Amino acid sequence: MRLFLALILCKLIRLALRLLGRGGTALPGKAALKICPDMLGKLSKGVATVLITGTNGKTTTARMTEQMIRDAGYSYFANRSGSNLERGIAAEFAANSTIFGRPKRTYAIIECDEAAFRTVAGKVAPRVIVVTNIFRDQLDRFGEVTRTLESIREGVKKAPEAVLCLNADCSLTASLAEGVPNTLRLFGMDVPLEESAGVSDAPRCIRCGAEYAYSFRTFAHLGGFFCPDCGYARQRPAVSITAVRAFLPEGSEADFMIDGAAYPAYVGLPAAYNLYNAAAALAAATALGVPAQKAAGSLADTRDVFGRMESFEINGVPIRMILVKNPAGCDRALDYLAGMIQGEYLAVFCLNDNVADGTDVSWIWDSGFERLFSGGTEPGLIVSGTRAEDMRLRLKYAGAREDAVRIIQGDGALIAAAAAGGVPVYILPTYTAMLSIRSELTRLCGGRKFWE
Amino acid sequence: MEISICHLYPDVLNLYGDRGNVLCMQKRLAWRGIDCTVAGIQIGDSRPLSGFDLFFIGGGQDFEQEILLRDLGNKKAADIKAAAEDGKPFLCVCGGYQLMGKTYETSKGVRCDYLGVLDMFTVGAEKRVTGNFAFEFEGVPVVGFENHSGRTFLGEGVSPLGRVISGFGNNGEDGTEGARYQNVFGTYSHGPVLPKNPAFCDYILETALSRKYGREILEPLPDESENAAHDTMLRRMTGKEAKP
Repeated sequence: MRLFLALILCKLIRLALRLLGRGGTALPGKAALKICPDMLGKLSKGVATVLITGTNGKTTTARMTEQMIRDAGYSYFANRSGSNLERGIAAEFAANSTIFGRPKRTYAIIECDEAAFRTVAGKVAPRVIVVTNIFRDQLDRFGEVTRTLESIREGVKKAPEAVLCLNADCSLTASLAEGVPNTLRLFGMDVPLEESAGVSDAPRCIRCGAEYAYSFRTFAHLGGFFCPDCGYARQRPAVSITAVRAFLPEGSEADFMIDGAAYPAYVGLPAAYNLYNAAAALAAATALGVPAQKAAGSLADTRDVFGRMESFEINGVPIRMILVKNPAGCDRALDYLAGMIQGEYLAVFCLNDNVADGTDVSWIWDSGFERLFSGGTEPGLIVSGTRAEDMRLRLKYAGAREDAVRIIQGDGALIAAAAAGGVPVYILPTYTAMLSIRSELTRLCGGRKFWE
Repeated sequence: MEISICHLYPDVLNLYGDRGNVLCMQKRLAWRGIDCTVAGIQIGDSRPLSGFDLFFIGGGQDFEQEILLRDLGNKKAADIKAAAEDGKPFLCVCGGYQLMGKTYETSKGVRCDYLGVLDMFTVGAEKRVTGNFAFEFEGVPVVGFENHSGRTFLGEGVSPLGRVISGFGNNGEDGTEGARYQNVFGTYSHGPVLPKNPAFCDYILETALSRKYGREILEPLPDESENAAHDTMLRRMTGKEAKP
């Protein structure tokens, strides 16, 4: 009865918010959970759920997995809005069940916040768990990386039936396989990358504390790690990238190995880190029974992912938005800018310090902005956001001329100034900055609403 | 002129952008035409520390602090003490600051012996203090970000680095922030602290230069971006948006 009431309330609030033209992705769930705290556990019964967590790449991996199972003709739903705490996830399940709590769809592709995963994993009994990677992120909220790891571990232990898809190249993530009975399905990259290493978030063995050695490295602390003291080492992944044929500005060509068979594929999102996301999605979709050939073919069709390498065009000027929220992710975006962009371009950095961004912005000093100024075309520079001055200061110490960095506040003014340059624009915003700039860009372009 | 900086444990004490402090010192010396070298001393590196002019220690994860104590154990601890007693400047932030004290007692009552350079001790608490904060150092407000669960109490042998203007500081009780002994500057301030507080950075650099070359006054730099970042944050904290 409580579930019934909660469902009615949840659906009504969601409908009302939509009528008001608002997203309403968390509030309905919050209200409903008050009435029926186990709503999520009840509604997820009978739904084959893929639960995706990790520091970076959750949303992109979810969109790629979604593309694969959509192309394979599965009946599914997803929390596409990015509302990834328990209340948002509960609301998504509610929206996709009948008023009597029966599921309307067979599959669910759910991205889940790392801290919320502990609770959510125990409630939804996932069919598949994907952990993309673990990096330092919002230390003011999550604390140290080992705490994030332990929170995810707690969630994994509550879901012994789930197929566990883990990043084989991340020594932190791969350690989640220890001492659990789950079926393991690792993914990773078998070849080194020429990316900048940056600060390592895991220089020392998670088991014994000795310094890791690497047979090859991809980026950050990812790669063929092994501990010379205790023997903890990377395991061979079931799904891997065996060769990168081309990194292009709009996407990548790579060879994937899935359960021993080779599949060349085009990934419709650029940059090396999206190859990891592609491998994670392949591991998840094939675990659900999607044929490998078909899943690999779907990789070409995931292009625009909410704020993540998403493209817009204003007055003929191409604008790409790349969400950045931690040093590892930001370094990847900077690698992309410094390595991939030919000719003149404008880089826009929007640094906010709201709670959802992380109130501590010190991470920008752990990210290698220097590579924008180490040869090649130096970009035009604009900074914005609640901590624009901190961002400008970081760029100065990275090598920017003090008078070359403009501070422009307000989304409208920012977009106008950016597009006025006539050269391609790359906007690197933190989370809340991304939301507001994206909404202005979408309005100007007449695009979709984010919950669609 | 030349300053050689020793960055202690850059591989494990590398949280919260603290390496920005080293970058800041390097740049501010370079902009004045003063040479600067930086050596990262990692775990297992037993190079003598006596040749360095300036030392930096940042904050780290609890997981890695244990490994660190093992490495400090014998010779390195003695080297660090000798350099500090010798009047060499140290900037020690958060975990690195606590490490310079006598002891650290966890919230569960386990006590670790630390370096004992500074007459102070730290006690772990359940509740973490996180947020922007400001303190006064030599008459100038310093802005930064604090993120620590330890509460530090100073003994007779050290002075506080400054008085808290906004935020928590050493322990939230006595209004002190950080510690100063000889030329050891200890602080809870991340941010990183130096780029946004150029006066504090130059003070440390002048201390290092004066010790090596006799009295040195650094020529001023434009510091437009530095002051803008500093003033914006100070205004936010002391103005209408004051947050604990």
